[in-house]
Amino acid sequence: MNSRIEYWVKIPIGPIHPALEEPEKFIITLDGERIIHVDIKLGYNLRGLEWIAMRRNYIQLLYLVERICGICSFSHNHTYTRAVEEMAGIEVPERAEYIRAIIGELERIHSHLLNLGVVGHAIGYDTVLHLSWLARERVMDILEAIGGNRVNYAMNTIGGVRRDIEEKHKRMILEMIRYYREEVMPKVEEIFLYDPTVEARLRDAGVIPKRIALEYSAQGPTARGSGIKKDVRYNEQLGVYPELGIRPITPKEFTGVIKGDVFDRMVVRVGELWQSMEIIEKAFDQMPEDKIKTFSKDNVALAKLKKAEGAGIGRYEAPRGETIHYVRANPGTDGPAKWKAREPTFPNLFAVARALVGEQLADVPVAIASIDPCLSCTDRVAIIDSKTGKKKVLTEKDLLKASIEKTKEINPNIKAKPEAVGGICGGVRL
Amino acid sequence: MTPEELIKRIKERFEVEIYTSQTKTLHPRERIWIEVSRNDFKELMKYFQEIDPHAQFSIIIGEDRGDHLSATYHLELFCENSPSLSVAVITSCPKEDPKIPSLGDVFPSSVPYERENQEFLGIIFEGIPDPRRLFLPDDFPEGIYPLRLDEKGITPEMVKNAGHPYKIKKEGSK
Repeated sequence: MNSRIEYWVKIPIGPIHPALEEPEKFIITLDGERIIHVDIKLGYNLRGLEWIAMRRNYIQLLYLVERICGICSFSHNHTYTRAVEEMAGIEVPERAEYIRAIIGELERIHSHLLNLGVVGHAIGYDTVLHLSWLARERVMDILEAIGGNRVNYAMNTIGGVRRDIEEKHKRMILEMIRYYREEVMPKVEEIFLYDPTVEARLRDAGVIPKRIALEYSAQGPTARGSGIKKDVRYNEQLGVYPELGIRPITPKEFTGVIKGDVFDRMVVRVGELWQSMEIIEKAFDQMPEDKIKTFSKDNVALAKLKKAEGAGIGRYEAPRGETIHYVRANPGTDGPAKWKAREPTFPNLFAVARALVGEQLADVPVAIASIDPCLSCTDRVAIIDSKTGKKKVLTEKDLLKASIEKTKEINPNIKAKPEAVGGICGGVRL
Repeated sequence: MTPEELIKRIKERFEVEIYTSQTKTLHPRERIWIEVSRNDFKELMKYFQEIDPHAQFSIIIGEDRGDHLSATYHLELFCENSPSLSVAVITSCPKEDPKIPSLGDVFPSSVPYERENQEFLGIIFEGIPDPRRLFLPDDFPEGIYPLRLDEKGITPEMVKNAGHPYKIKKEGSK
C-alpha cells in the first residue's frame, strides 16, 4: 500500500472569461482525477464602479448600474431604484410595479433559456444549445420592441418606469407565451427532465448539499436546487409579487427528490420558466390603469432626492439569485455618499468551489456552468506538474473534449464536436 | 418571530442602538438597523446564529465616514418565511486603529466580503482565516485603499482616463 505515489497537480482555470461579469480564476488542486482544493481569484475585470459612482448623481447612476452585467441589466437597475426609493420614501404607482414584474420575468425567461443551452453545450448536446438559443430570440425581440434594446432596456427610473406597455406589446407577449407553452417547453422538459443520458450525466454531478448551501449563503436556483425555499420576491414581499402568487420553486414538485446536483438546478430553471409565464399572464389580468411614474421629470426627482437622508437597501431576485444594493444619501447634494452592489454569482462561486471538492475534473465545466457564470468562455487551462515543472496548456476545446468523453461513456451515440463557443457568449452579452 | 420580538430579545442582552425603517410599497417592508460597538459586535453576531442557525449572510458594506470607518452587515433571518427578517448591523472603528473582529468562524461565507473590504478600505479583520487579496492585482501598491476618501485613497495623479467621455484629456493636448 505504501508504494502508491501521491502527487498533486495544480490547474489554473482562467483568468479571462470574456463573457462573465466577473472574470475569475479557479486554481484547482488535483489528486489524480479527484479535486481536493479549489481556490478563487477575482478582479480581472475590476472597473472601479464604486469609485465612479461617487462622482455621479442618482439619475446618472441608474445607467451606470445597468451596465454591470448584460444579462441581469434589468435586475441591477430595479434593485438600485428600490434602494433609492426606500432611502427617500418614494411611492411607486401600482401600474409601474406590474410593468416591473413583467419585464423582470421576461428577463428571467431569456436568462434561463440561455443557461439551459450553455449546460447542454457543456455536456456535448449542441442541439440543446441551438434549440434553446433559437427560442430565446423570441423573447429578445419582445424586449427590443418594448425597450429599444436587446439588453440594457433602461426601463426603470426613480419612482416608476420610463415606458408603458401598450396593447400591441401585450399581444406580442401573449403570442410568445403560447409559442413557448406549445412548442418550446415540451421539448425542454423532454430533454432536462426525462432524457436518460442527460439525467445520467447531470445527476450526482457538482452536488451542493443543503448544509453547505446554507452555510455559504448560496442564492437563487443554486440554493433552491439544494432544497432551500428562499426567493427574495417571496421573502421580501416585493412590490406586487404576493398578488401574483409567487412561491419558491424546488425540484421536489417536479421529480419528488432533492439532491442538490446540477440536474436539480436545471429542474428549478425549467420550473421557473413555467412560473414566469404564469406571472406575466396574471400581471396582464390584474394590471390597473394608472400613471407609470411619480415624478414627471428627472430634475424633479433629483430635487426631492437632494433633501433625502439616511440609507436604503434594495433586494431583488435576479435570474441567478439575490441582488442587493445599498445607497446612503449625502444630504444637500444630488448624488449618493455611498453606493454598493452585490451580485448573486459572488456567494454562489464560493459555494460551488466548496462543493467541487471530491468531484472529478470532467465535472468542472458542467458544475460551474450550472450556477450560470457560463464556463464556455474558459479560454485556456494550464496544467503545471509541480514535480517536473512541465507546463501543458489545455484549451477550452480540450476541457470540453474531456466532458464529452464522459457523456459518450454513458451514451455512445453522442456525436458532438468540442467546438469553442466562447466568442458567441461575449457577443450576446454586449 | 416578529421584528418587535427580535428587538426585545437583543435589547435584553446588549446595549445597542436600534431603529427600524419601513418602505412605502404595497406590502410595507420593515428593516431593523442595529448600531453596535466593535467590542460587542462578535457576540451579537453569534447571538443571531443562536436565534436562527440558518441565518443568511448577504453583504458587508464598508464606508469611509470621515473620521471613522464603518461596516454594515446585512443578514436575513428565517430565510424561508414570508416576510423574513432583514437586519443590518452597523459597527465602526477609528481610522488610527482600523480593526474589526473577523466572522470567519461564525459565518464562513463572510470571508470573501472581509477580504474585499480589507483591500478596498484598509479595515483589518482580526483573525481572518485567509487575508490574501481578492480583487486588486498583486502588484497594486501597498498602503493605498481605493475607496478611502482621505490621503490613503486614490490621489488625482493616479487617475488616468477617468471621467466624462467628452472631458477626458487626450494625451499631448493641454
